[in-house]
Amino acid sequence: MNSQNKRKSKKNSVRQIWFSVVFLVLGFIFAFSYKTLGINNQQDNYQPLAYLREEQYREELLRLQERNKELYEELDEKMREVMDIEHSFMHEEDRHTKLIEEAEQLRLLLGLVPAHGEGVKVTLKDADYDPLTQNPNDYIVHESHVLRVVNELKIAGAEGIAINGQRLTSNSSIKCTGPVITVDGKTFPEPFVIEAVGSQEVLQSSLQLRGGVLDSLEQDHIVVLVEEKEVILPALREG
Amino acid sequence: MWLPLLGLLIGISLGLLSDLQIPSVYSNYLSIAVLAALDTLFGGIRAHLQQVYDDKIFISGFFFNIILAASLAFLGVHLGVDLYLAAVFAFGVRLFQNIAIIRRILLTKWSERAEEKKRGEIEESQDVEKL
Repeated sequence: MNSQNKRKSKKNSVRQIWFSVVFLVLGFIFAFSYKTLGINNQQDNYQPLAYLREEQYREELLRLQERNKELYEELDEKMREVMDIEHSFMHEEDRHTKLIEEAEQLRLLLGLVPAHGEGVKVTLKDADYDPLTQNPNDYIVHESHVLRVVNELKIAGAEGIAINGQRLTSNSSIKCTGPVITVDGKTFPEPFVIEAVGSQEVLQSSLQLRGGVLDSLEQDHIVVLVEEKEVILPALREG
Repeated sequence: MWLPLLGLLIGISLGLLSDLQIPSVYSNYLSIAVLAALDTLFGGIRAHLQQVYDDKIFISGFFFNIILAASLAFLGVHLGVDLYLAAVFAFGVRLFQNIAIIRRILLTKWSERAEEKKRGEIEESQDVEKL
């Protein structure tokens, strides 16, 4: 009877120990799960991940831009080398002179090389107006005005044209995007400075033709400023 | 009697106080472990009510289920199949069944007791009438 009791109590204590282990694990799992996956911690787990990714993309973008710049500089250098070689050719052979001049002309037109020389600078500005009482559409510079000036300058034989420092090429686009205009994917606000390299006399007079561009711009209440000066145009850059 | 309760308390405090951080990828394992533990717990209660309870089965089941579920989830992650869903499903179904059985047993017990009480009252009243 006694030994049976003893065995029973021993068995009971073993059982108790096992149970405590089970409950310990149970409590730990529940508490830990609550702590790490519960409502309070859900957001913290995901936010840093998104931030990290964004940061990564930004860094990549910066790196690519840097690389782009480097490549452009390299291209510039190579272009200069080619030009130097061509110049040396010019000295050597007289009959190539014409071709090289033509190539240069075309390159200027394409905007691949910086252009400088005498030229004109046309500044288009919005007129002063009261937006409450007047229709602002009648007083701001539209892309069509810019386009008209650019076309006129091109027809008058401008060798290179730039809008606010953005070089125009034969397949450039000028688009209206609300209050600003987009030139080859870059937006520029008013005032628009159109610079052109070419014979000042011809350019100036072609703009000032009676009933020509300047007259029509004046009719549209746009403030136009034409200056004759030495113009330096940058080479075309993308990206 | 006090030892298991002490174990529970220690477990909870360990879980709350530990500074362990697990990556969110492994949260599946934890949820499965919770489910497995709950399932075994309710299975034990049911077995006890049905008078087929066995210590060995309960304790081995508790740990074995947790380990099995975790390894299943692990396998699923490495195979690219959401195998942990199988564990969640199985444990979920069993959890509901166990709880339903517990409820029924308790209900029958309760109604039996109520009937017995009633019968006792009737007998008493009959006794009174006899007197």
